[in-house]
Amino acid sequence: MLGVLLLLQVVVIVGIGIWLFASIDWDRVADVSNKPGQVQLQTSDKSVLKGFVRAVLFTVYFLGPVVLSLLAGLGFVLLRRRGWMLASVAQALIMLACLFYYGASRPWFAYPIIAYSILMILLLNSRSVRAVVHRRRLTPAEASSEITHGE
Amino acid sequence: MANEAGLDARNAEALLRRFEPVIHFTKGEWFYPMDCEPYVDACSLWVRRPNEDAVCVVPSGELTLERLAQQPEDTTGAVHYLKIPAPKQDENRGRRARRRARRSHTNPDWPKETFRAGRGRLARVGYISRLADALFSLVLLARGRVPGGDVEGARVLYGRFMEEGQRFRYHGHVVQQDGWIVLRYWLFYAFNDWRSNVFGANDHEADWEKIFVFLSESESGEVRPEWVAYAAHEETGDDLRRRWDDPELEKVGEHPVAYVCAGSHATRYSRGEYLTELAFPLPRALSAVRRIARRFWYVTLRQYAEEEYAERPFEEFTIPFVDYGRGDGWSVGPGQDREWDPPRLMNPLPSWVSGYRGLWGLYTRDPFEGEDAPAGPMYNRDKTISREWFDPVGWAGLDKVPTRTEELDVISRRREEIQERRDLLRSQIREKSDRLKTLGMDAEATRDRSHLSKLYETQRRDIEELSQEVEELRAELSEDELLDESLRDHAERLRDGERPPARAHITHPTRPVSETETRAGRVAQLWASISVAAVLVTLFLIFAYERQHLLSALVFAIAVFAFIEASFRRRLTRFMVSANIALAIVGALVLIQHYYWQIIVLAVLGVGFYILWENLRELGR
Repeated sequence: MLGVLLLLQVVVIVGIGIWLFASIDWDRVADVSNKPGQVQLQTSDKSVLKGFVRAVLFTVYFLGPVVLSLLAGLGFVLLRRRGWMLASVAQALIMLACLFYYGASRPWFAYPIIAYSILMILLLNSRSVRAVVHRRRLTPAEASSEITHGE
Repeated sequence: MANEAGLDARNAEALLRRFEPVIHFTKGEWFYPMDCEPYVDACSLWVRRPNEDAVCVVPSGELTLERLAQQPEDTTGAVHYLKIPAPKQDENRGRRARRRARRSHTNPDWPKETFRAGRGRLARVGYISRLADALFSLVLLARGRVPGGDVEGARVLYGRFMEEGQRFRYHGHVVQQDGWIVLRYWLFYAFNDWRSNVFGANDHEADWEKIFVFLSESESGEVRPEWVAYAAHEETGDDLRRRWDDPELEKVGEHPVAYVCAGSHATRYSRGEYLTELAFPLPRALSAVRRIARRFWYVTLRQYAEEEYAERPFEEFTIPFVDYGRGDGWSVGPGQDREWDPPRLMNPLPSWVSGYRGLWGLYTRDPFEGEDAPAGPMYNRDKTISREWFDPVGWAGLDKVPTRTEELDVISRRREEIQERRDLLRSQIREKSDRLKTLGMDAEATRDRSHLSKLYETQRRDIEELSQEVEELRAELSEDELLDESLRDHAERLRDGERPPARAHITHPTRPVSETETRAGRVAQLWASISVAAVLVTLFLIFAYERQHLLSALVFAIAVFAFIEASFRRRLTRFMVSANIALAIVGALVLIQHYYWQIIVLAVLGVGFYILWENLRELGR
């Protein structure tokens, strides 16, 4: 279940990324590459440039967490109980990316991603999930130290 | 109430010697249990009355235990205290005193090894505790504290005692309480140098520590040891005591083994290093907020907790200190390199114990009291009688535990009591059941008679009440039957020689820090030492030079510091959980701010739909 939810999150974020690139009016972008293996694009339309920058930033922000989420999701689905740490790091990075977005351009898609990520964080830290995932790691040696008043 | 009745001094001494403890000290310890008399003889007695300067009432060299018992110049609010003499001119403070103290190393009964802390305490705790520790040290400059020279003075004085032939002695007191014979071993140390020698919380002149052994007497008059309780700081209750057959309790023959922590002289059952935390209560408002947040997180949101969630009576923050009970230093006791001298007996009670209600060393007027010397065995610092004196059995949580000799008697008396109550309950149930049946018949007869409808209602009410009563009585009877059965089984097990688990009474066992934790690298120690300063400097630089990107820079810096810290302390999982919680809270606030009205509309709609659903369900029934 957790793995499926993580994979669903990956699909949604990748979908938003594709939509961002697809919504750029590529007809107004000219290819001025003059060497093989090199890509140079040019446009005089500011709105196209803005959309392009937004799509590239989205990719930069979300590429890492999407890869981690994908690995964690596959880990949960295929390897069972593996990938909790990857999933946690991915959620942290996704939230950070969204909060950076919120501080700058506040795009509409930041909010549903935040909401989904909050749910995932709660789920990852829920008693039932942690008890299963960390069953082997919890030992009595972790018992808390004494609280005393020094004399 | 503990009393000495029926115990003569000879018997008391024989019992004390038979079960006297073996104590392992930590390498580098300066002060060992000694007779309090030479200490008192060397000290001066002072009195501080409210709003007055301290006055010396008996100068050094004139004070004796008998004189101490008179507690001269006692008035309301006066605090009496002893003072260790300053080293003489030729053994003046500072370097000379240290040199003199070192000269005492030629005495075979003096430590040749210096204390080495090993991995620092700060490497074992987080930023908040480290910051609190830094503040605690700063506050120490402002509040009352034992001057550094006093430590040297005490070492010089103790060195002199050792040179004069003073050895190792405890003060023994035997009392009886609730069927128990309590052997009380009071250990007097000339100084507690936990702060100055071992990086602990406090220093104070004089230190009274204790080890209690609880004996029971069989019908043939033979005594057998059943429990021991070692004092560690101000702990009391069940966690403090160990049963004689507990594997954690080491023994040499009939002598229990204790590990005394360096400087603080806290006494432990196992060798090792203990993380001790000084706890300070949070202000009431903060405490309430934290309690609500904890409940919401763990109960409402069902989030994971490493320990089972429990409401705390009060929230507090703590500063960590390490108690080093390594047991690698001297050993004192029967069969060890150093034996006990005959004890100073406190049976019958000497006048200095009950007569002197003051402090046994310098009164620094420390508001936290940690740097003030302790009072004697019988009193607290505020001159009230200490619990371990008047109720040693309750202090160790043994007031609910019968001796082995009494166990079967207690069970048998209890079963008789239950039997009587069961008979009574049965007769009450019979009587009430008969009444209930009568009422039932009355109600049957008056039902559907319009002119008796009022009477019928009263009968119905009476039936309900009586029925409830009978149900409760039956439940009580059934519980009593089960209890009786359990007591019978328990008695049989005891008769067969079976014992309940030795550690069942311990809810928060104190364990030494694990080997893995102690062996952390030097880099972790270095990081722990510099981290608080590094955080503060980084924050200052960000505020000074990165105001344009203040928020981003702060988030980045804090995340990096926290990540490094978590890696060193092998707590990445916990760190990720905390980071995610913080991010989730911020994310939730962003959502609330952006969708404020929508959230309100959704909430109202939700409530509306819920009411509609409930009403429709009712209709459908």
